[in-house]
Formats: sequence, C-alpha cells, structure tokens
Amino acid sequence: MTTTIMRTTARVTVPVVLVVAISLFLQGHNLPGGGFIGGVLTAAAFVLIYVAYDLDYLESGVLGREVEHGTSVFEQRTVTAYRRILLAGLVVVLASGFGGMLIGDPFLTQGYVHLEGVPIYREVELASALLFDLGVYLVVVGSVLTIVSVVSAE
Amino acid sequence: MAPDLTLVTTAVALPFVAAAVSPLLYRVLGERTGYAGAVVATASFGLLATGVDDYGTVGVSWVPALDVGIQFTVDGWGLLFALLASGIGALVFVYSTSYMHGEEGLARYYAALLAFMGSILGVALASDLVFLFLFWELTSLCSFVLIGHHTEDAESRYSARMAMVVTVGGGLCLLAALLMLAAAARGALGGVTFDLTAMIANSGAMRAALRESGLFLPALGLIVVAAAAKSAQVPLHFWLPNAMVAPTPVSAFLHSATMVKVGVYLLGRVRPLLMSPEWVLIVATLGLVTMTVGALLAVASTDTKELLAYSTASHLGLMVAGFGFDIGYGAEAGAFHLLNHALFKAPLFLVAGIVVHEAGTRNLNNLGGLWRELPVTAAVTVVAALSMAGIPPFNGFYSKELLFEAAYEVAHEAGGLAWLYPAVATLASVLTVVYSLTFLALFFGERRAPAADVHRPPVTLIGPPAVLAVAAVVVSVAPQLAVDAIVQGAVDATATGEAQLAVGLPTHLSPPVAMSGVAVVGGVAAYPLRGRLATGVRRGVDAPVPVRPSGWYDWVVSTTTATSARFGSAVHNGLLRRYVGWTAAAGSLLALAGFAATGAPAPGALGGTGVTLAVAVVLGVATLAGVAVAAAASHVSGVLTLSILGFMLAIFFILASAPDLALTQLVIETLILLMFLLVLQRLPSFYSEIRPLSIARDASVSLLVGATAFVAVLLTIPDPDADPTSVATYYTEQAVPGGGGTNVVNVILVDFRAFDTLGELLVVTVAAIAILVLVTMRTRGEASEAASDGESIPDGGDSP
Repeated sequence: MTTTIMRTTARVTVPVVLVVAISLFLQGHNLPGGGFIGGVLTAAAFVLIYVAYDLDYLESGVLGREVEHGTSVFEQRTVTAYRRILLAGLVVVLASGFGGMLIGDPFLTQGYVHLEGVPIYREVELASALLFDLGVYLVVVGSVLTIVSVVSAE
Repeated sequence: MAPDLTLVTTAVALPFVAAAVSPLLYRVLGERTGYAGAVVATASFGLLATGVDDYGTVGVSWVPALDVGIQFTVDGWGLLFALLASGIGALVFVYSTSYMHGEEGLARYYAALLAFMGSILGVALASDLVFLFLFWELTSLCSFVLIGHHTEDAESRYSARMAMVVTVGGGLCLLAALLMLAAAARGALGGVTFDLTAMIANSGAMRAALRESGLFLPALGLIVVAAAAKSAQVPLHFWLPNAMVAPTPVSAFLHSATMVKVGVYLLGRVRPLLMSPEWVLIVATLGLVTMTVGALLAVASTDTKELLAYSTASHLGLMVAGFGFDIGYGAEAGAFHLLNHALFKAPLFLVAGIVVHEAGTRNLNNLGGLWRELPVTAAVTVVAALSMAGIPPFNGFYSKELLFEAAYEVAHEAGGLAWLYPAVATLASVLTVVYSLTFLALFFGERRAPAADVHRPPVTLIGPPAVLAVAAVVVSVAPQLAVDAIVQGAVDATATGEAQLAVGLPTHLSPPVAMSGVAVVGGVAAYPLRGRLATGVRRGVDAPVPVRPSGWYDWVVSTTTATSARFGSAVHNGLLRRYVGWTAAAGSLLALAGFAATGAPAPGALGGTGVTLAVAVVLGVATLAGVAVAAAASHVSGVLTLSILGFMLAIFFILASAPDLALTQLVIETLILLMFLLVLQRLPSFYSEIRPLSIARDASVSLLVGATAFVAVLLTIPDPDADPTSVATYYTEQAVPGGGGTNVVNVILVDFRAFDTLGELLVVTVAAIAILVLVTMRTRGEASEAASDGESIPDGGDSP
C-alpha cells in the first residue's frame, strides 16, 4: 500500500482531515459533530498515515527521533503515548464529573456561560460539557490508536 | 428514646474496619493479632451492652427510590444475638491465639473471622430486608473462607464448597422471599418497602395481602428453606458435619454459636409476621424431625466434633420447633435456648479442640479417663454436657422444659396426630442424654489411650470455655437473672401475644415435668445400649435406598460439572466464528422469546407510502451490496462491497435528516476500511473451501439475526404520526436552556445522559485493555503452557 500515489494523497489529506476533526469536535455542541465523531476521525487520519507509510513513520519521519528496534510493541513510545492519551481522557471525564460536585451539584452536572464582547467572535459560549467532550475525544483517540497499532504490529 | 445510630453503626462497622486492616495488623503483631480481634469484639460487645439503653429503630436512607435503608432495629431478640456473637467472638479470638499457633494464613483467618463477626452483628441488628440479606450472604461467604482455611486440603475445599452451595442457595430463597414480602407491602403498607419492622407492626395486613396474592405459602416456604439451609435442618443438615474440617475455634464460633443460628434468628424474627396454621405445621414438624434425626446421628458418631455437629443440628431443631408452636411457651423455648445452647455448645467445641490439641485424636473410641490430666477441662465439660443433656438444674433444662410445655399444650389443644409432637420431642431428648453421656465419657472411666503425652492446656485455651461454663452456671443457678436482663426482651420480640417468661425448677409433677423425667431416666437407661443403637443408625444411613442427602448433593454437583464440561467444549471450542454464531443465535432467540413472552402487539400494516425514490434507491443499493458481500470471492472485494453497504446507510441517515448519525457512520466506515487495508496483507487472499453444511448453518444464523432485527424494529419504532414522547419533548425543549447547545444529540450525550456516556467510555477502555492483554497473553500464554505441560490438571477438589 505504500505507493507514491498513496503517500502523496496522505500528505495532502491528513492535515485536512485533522482540521476537520478538530472543528467537528469543537462545534459539536451546537452543530453536527462532537467528541466521539471528532475522535474517530482523528484516529482515521493516523491510520491513514500508518497505511501510507508504516508504523514507525510517526516517530522517525514526523518527530525525527530514532526508533528503538527490537523492543516489543508495548514499549514503543507511540503506543505508550496512545495509552497515556486514553488515561488522560478518562481523568478529564472524571474530573469534569467531580468538578460539579465541588460546588455542590450532583456528579456529572454540566453548566455553561455566555461571554460577550470577545474579539473576533463577539460572543462565545463556554460549556463545561466541552470539557467532558474533550475527555470523550481523548478516550476514543487513545483507545482506537492503541488497538490499531498493537494489532497491526502483530 | 431511640438508640443512637452512630453507636449501633460503630458497633457493626468496627469488626469490618478491623478486618480490612488485619493484614497490616498481622504484619505488626504476628500471632498476637488474635488479641487485637478480642479487643475489637469486646469493644462491640461493650458498645452494645452499655450504650444501648432503649429499644427502637434508627436508620438513614440508602436507595430512596426503592425505599431501601441502612436501618437498624434494636430489640431484645437482636441484641441477645448480637451480644452472644460479640461476647463469644472475644473468647474465640483469645482461644485462637493458642490454638492456631504456628498455622499458615493467619492474616486471612483473622480477617475472615472479624468480617464474619461484623456480618453477624449486622444480621442481628439490621431490619431492612435488603440490608439484612447483604449481611446474611456475607456470613456464608466468611464461613466459606473459614471452612476452607486449609486451602491445600481437598477435603477442606470440598466441605467449604458444600457449605457455600447449600447456605448461599438458601440465601437465594431468602432473596426471593423478601421480594415477595416487599410486593405484599405495596398493598398492605401503601408502598414498596423492605422495612421488616414496619411489616411486623402491620402483620395482620401483611398476612392478608400475602394470602390475597397467593404468595403466603411460597414466601413462607422460601423463608423456611433459607433458614433450614443456614441452620442445618433436615434434609439440608449434611453440610454442618462436613464443615467440621474447619479449625475448632471456627466450629465453636460459626457452626455452633452464631452462623447456624442465623436461620433460627430469622424464624424468630418473622414469626409474628407469618404465624399461621401452616407455619406451625411446617416449622414445628421440621424442627422436631431435625431434633430427632440430629440426635440419632450424634449417637452414631465416633468423632468428637462430628458428634457435636449433629448435636448442634439437633438443638437447632429444638429452637426451630419452639418457634414453630403458636404459643407463648414456644417463643420462650426458642429464645431462651438460643442463649443456653451458645453457653454450653461453644465450650464443648472448645473442649473438643483442647482434647485434640493435647491428646491428638478426635476418635471417641480412643479417648477416656482424661480427667486426671485435664481436671479443669473435665469440670467445664461436666457443666456443659449436663446442660446439653437437659439435666436439672442446669440451664439447658429450663429451655427444654419450655419446649415440652409448648409441645404438650399444643397437643392437648389439637389432639389426634398432634400428640406426636411431645412424643417425638421426648424421644429426641432421650437420645440427647445418650450422646451427652457419650461425650462426657471422654473424661471418665478407664483410659483408652496412652496418656503420657497429654499435658495441661495453656490458660488461653482453657480460659474461654471456662468463662462460658461459669456463665452457664450463673444462668443455671439464677435463670431469672438472665431472663430479666435480656431474654424477656427477646421473647417479647418473637412472641405473637403476651408471654411472660417465668423459669425455675418444677415444684409439682405436671406432664411436661414427667416428659423430662422420662428423657433423663430413659437416656441413662439407654446409655449402655448405645453401641447397638449406633450400629442400627449406621445400617440405616448406609442403606441402599438413597437416604443420604449428601449423596444427592454429590450427584447434583457431579452431574452439573459433567454436563457443563460437555456443553463447554461445544460452545467454547476456541474458534471465533463459533462464538459469534452462539452469541448471535442465543441473543436473537432470547430477544424473540422476550417479545413473545411479553405479548408484544402485532406490528401494524406495512405501508410502502412515505418512502421517497431516493431512499428506495439507496436501500436497494445497500441490499445489493449485502448480497455481494456474501458472494464475494476474495477479501478485497468483500471489504469493498461491505463499505458500499456502510456508505449507503450513511446516505440513508442523511436523507432521514439525522446528520449526527450520518457523520458517525461515515467516519466509522472510513476507519474500518482503513483498518482492513492495514491488515489485508496478512489475510489469505482467497477463502478456503467451505463445507455446504456450515454454509447452511451460517445462513440460518444470519437469517435468524436479520429476522430478529426486523421484528425488533417493527415492534419498537413509534408510529410516525404519533406525538413525540414526553422524554423526547423534554430533551428538545431543554437542550438550549438546560444544556446550552443546539445540537440535541450532543447535549444528550454530554449533559443529560453524561453518565451513560461515561459508562460507554469505560467500555471502550475495557475493550482497548482487553485487546492489549489478548495480544500480550498470546505470546506469554504459549510460553507458560510449554512450561507447565507436565503438570496434571487439578480436579478442583470436586471429589472428596
């Protein structure tokens, strides 16, 4: 699959896909989208890189690091990073749940505020649900990429 | 004034806290952890004995939606049981320090013993049925751990499992019964509640409601089965002698003084609620049969602990029979004997432990004349054994006399077959005297074994039974003292009417006194014949007719094991597709059965109207793609056609104005396609030859799943013209003001039903971890399998 056509296509599409994914995630509260969809799309972008290049490309080609060969897939830095993303997502979700309890609301209560007079956007709505959604996003990205990288490394 | 909730909660929670920290304590204190346990038990005892100055009910809400509460009721009955458990608990902890000296796994032993004591206190004081059930099952669990203390011993594991199966099985009956009671409370008390105190306060209305719904007999039967399993009543008595593989302190504490009394306790507790002619017939008969069978088997025993175990079953039968009689004397007999039995049976077990500790055998035929070496132990045994035999003026006599009075009165009133009650009770008492004398013969008569190595027990071994024997003597000399202190309160809580307990030695000859006389004289006269009696009983037990309930138990367990082993290899053969087939087929069949059972309404007419051309085309292409997937000759074409199906569905969602679903479907479909591309190189490019049979099987499973999905959709979709449900309306209206977002789907996911989403995230995480583990274990498992190839597979101790 690592043909030139594939690689060129991936080069062009991956950034677009990532931007779309993030915008889907951010607009999710008011328009179609949300943490789950954004997360899956982000994961799809990474899988596209895997298909076009290979598993080590992220480390060697993008980050410019040496890849330690000979270690098992679980000890690779990318896989560890994915696992950490998964954990971070769970922590964010739980923290956003317990956050409400600090001010006396039940677990997982969400709230929102409208900010007026912000430059460029003029009006911005800040919802605590976005934080929860961020957790969803991270869990989805982390788990899908962990699964994909471990299974495909086999 | 109601009792203090904090105080009661502390008394119950203290042992659990101590159990949780006991591994740490053990690291610090070593074998002296037992003393710490004794301190905890004494603390609970002290809190309950001194701090509770009034009876009443206290509690806080736990699950308000179901009216389940953390609720304690302190009354004489509960308090008597709780004080017995904590008091004997303290002595058993002291005893354990010596008896368990040098044993393995003491941290676990003390933790389980402490947790057990807390559970018993919970059973005694909890008055919410759900809460009570929780503690009830915890006692079974702790008993399992303690019986199986010698984990490497197959017999120990077998017995622990047997006790677990029987008592937890009984616990399930209790669960069913308490659900019935709660259902009846809906009519009687005006709402579903698990509050036992309220049910007992309105027992008339509860009985009427139960009878009206036809649940009276089932509820009564289930409660009796639960109590019989726990309290070793015939025919569920067989686990108790087996449980004697446990260390002796455990036998003394759990299997004579407390855990086996939980069933009796429950019967006493619900007695005012369920008292009826059926109750008398079932419970009194069960009790008297157990009393006789237990005494017969005790006479036939050759092992000290076995004798005591059967004798315990027999005395539990006495209490059950007492509670069975619908008369004041009955409650008095049950409540008073609960105390007396604990005071004489626990020391006897502890004495049996001393004998095995010092003389090294439990065989009755090899023991005799031990009073020369163990004089204090012998004195303790005299008090306890004569009390067990019901010889006046020892305390066992008073409660047994009460049972005779109850049986006599009931028979006198009912006449006819009811005369069997006093007759059977007297017969059982004759046998009781026989086996009590047998046990006493350990210490008197000739020496039957070399006694050179028998030495005096340390004070921590002899102290606890001596304390209990002194308590028994106090109750013997001044029974009214015990009655005033606590037993009258227990009688009040268990009696159906007024019952003023007055005990004392008989002053004139009445029929019950004559029954006692017959029992004592008959027992002493029959004692020389016990060898012949024992042979007869053993011949009866070994009869070819399957009369042994333990044989039935073994048959059920081995048949279940064999069947599941056969069934397992059919379902669980290691092929992923076989698992999918079973899961999908079973799920579909269950769903269809569910629809059929609930009588789901037949779907309305299938109208083709409202389907636009675009939708029809999209669905048509999807169907074609589905057919093409099944017919695809290679993985590549299969994956690609499957994607067509997925993308068509996404388009369908767009046409049905569900943009979020469509987006999700598109993204997931893309991801799946990419993942297939990633692993495609590793898959074989073409399918192998498939047998027609498996094609037929797979096709039928597929059709079944498809049909189920079709039926489910038809039955569950709302009528398109109907108004949206109240939930849907609420979400739509509240999305902007309540959640601050205009995307209702997203607001539901992250705000209204965020807890669901949290659960789903955990599922995703678990899936990721599971795949990680699978991949890791695959390589590791092969390595360890190669290493352990030579070992035989243990049978798990299923056969004794």
